[in-house]
Amino acid sequence: MRRSLGLAPIAALATLAGLWVAFAGGSPTRLFLERGWAPPGPGLPLGAGEGGVDLAAAVAHGTVRALVLAVTVSALGFVVGAPLGALAGLRGGAFASAVARACDLVQSFPTFLLTLAILTTIHSPSRLHLVVVFSVAAWAPFARMAHAEAKVLGGAAFVDAARALGAGTPRLVLRHVLPNLLGPVAVQAGSSAAAVVLGEAALGFLGLGPRDGVSLGAILEQGVVGMLRAPHVLVVGALSVGLVSGALQLASESLQRDP
Amino acid sequence: MTTSGGLLRATRGIAARALLGIGTVWALATLVFLSLRLLPGDPAALVLGDLATEEERAALRRSLHLDEPLAAQYARYLWGIARLDLGASLRHPSQGAFSLTLDAFWPTASFALAAVSIGAVAGVAAGGLSTSRLLGGGRRLVHGVTLALAATPLLGLAPVATYALAVRARALPLPGDPDAGVAGALFASVLLALPLGAQVARATRAALRELGRAQFLTVAKAKGASDARVLLVHALPAVSGPILTVVGTQLGALLGGAIVLERLFERPGLGTVMIQAYAARDLPVLEAGIVASGALFVMTQALFATLHAAVDPRARRA
Repeated sequence: MRRSLGLAPIAALATLAGLWVAFAGGSPTRLFLERGWAPPGPGLPLGAGEGGVDLAAAVAHGTVRALVLAVTVSALGFVVGAPLGALAGLRGGAFASAVARACDLVQSFPTFLLTLAILTTIHSPSRLHLVVVFSVAAWAPFARMAHAEAKVLGGAAFVDAARALGAGTPRLVLRHVLPNLLGPVAVQAGSSAAAVVLGEAALGFLGLGPRDGVSLGAILEQGVVGMLRAPHVLVVGALSVGLVSGALQLASESLQRDP
Repeated sequence: MTTSGGLLRATRGIAARALLGIGTVWALATLVFLSLRLLPGDPAALVLGDLATEEERAALRRSLHLDEPLAAQYARYLWGIARLDLGASLRHPSQGAFSLTLDAFWPTASFALAAVSIGAVAGVAAGGLSTSRLLGGGRRLVHGVTLALAATPLLGLAPVATYALAVRARALPLPGDPDAGVAGALFASVLLALPLGAQVARATRAALRELGRAQFLTVAKAKGASDARVLLVHALPAVSGPILTVVGTQLGALLGGAIVLERLFERPGLGTVMIQAYAARDLPVLEAGIVASGALFVMTQALFATLHAAVDPRARRA
């Protein structure tokens, strides 16, 4: 019960943004100069931003794209990190310590600098660039978690039994260890996704975001520019960044509390 | 353990940490180098735009040494970092890329250090207050505020707080105000310190509660020490290890936050230099900026590892 309650906010946000993008029909980039910085009113539920951009459309598109990016990066992190960590946990030895060292290195790295270092050299980043940049560090927490879990599972009777029946390492990892990892990994996926949403918004805010400028961070940046004229833009930007990342974090924590 | 053995171990620890630090900066520097040269797209076209002639691009490639073999470029690049000379800025040809960057180093370094100090002190205080009986029922309020702050992203909170305090309440100078002075700098540091402080408070609270009924605290109480004395003199030193660990793991996020807040408050600093260099495609300044921020990160991390080792003998072996 509690689990589904924790997942409700992010499900509601994703559905709302998805439906808005599919059916409301406003453009997140089209400018109407005559209604620049217009406050919320009929036809403009969240008001307009710089150059008259429809903020409701910008928030909906920005949310959908941030969530797609976050899910992609978390999924990639899981697909790369979890088998690597599980293998390290089963094998042990030099391979395991190499994986652990690599995790240490990546996790102690200033990730935001890493992102800047790669993105600053690209003329205008595409969505694919953003996926790559965030995935560079995303695998490490998954690998660390799978490593710890697989070390414990390695001695479990059912793994021994599978081994005695002649299962090879790939089969052990895929059929016996990974399914047991899904619980703890779901928790990690939630907080990874929240971090990606915030990272993408920070890049958008700094002007290093995607080239079409559709990002929750870009709305926030408009809000800062127009702080004196149109505070509603700032509120809309800050709330949408906070709600999306907060809802993901909440989902992650509600998964953690349940056994 | 003999004294010389301890000294040897300490020297080894420092050497290992220095190597790791140099490794981190080297990895960042190599990453910028490779992504500039190996990713599709001509850096010269990136700088000059699509309208430049082939001769102009060739001239720029020559002046940036982009026409040399990759290994020679890499050697020249590393040697340039070692001498703090990556050539002149493309936007301000009279200034070296590194001298531009180093001018911005101290504003960011002092900003980050002020935020770390404020966050650590305020976080320990909040964590201590939320477990002690000093505040009575107020400790729940402190804990609640801590949890709320830990869950609020700085990126959303900072602009809204600025709007509320600087624009509406007029209690603080506006962002970018040249006369902002100490109040503006302090406000920015406090904002940057909030997420760190919240994490430190959570760690302090968890560690203090775990320590809870430790015998040495009971002894101190039995000897007639006040609650405040038990907390400050006996309990806090024993939990300083986990607290410093939390500060250490938050440093990367703190540096990212500093870059975002520099943009928000239009403060001079490494973030501003890098964003401007990005907008102007000033490649030497970009490279210098990444290397300098990496060095700043490594130095702050080393500072906290040293502090950690000074208070907690178990951390000396790392």
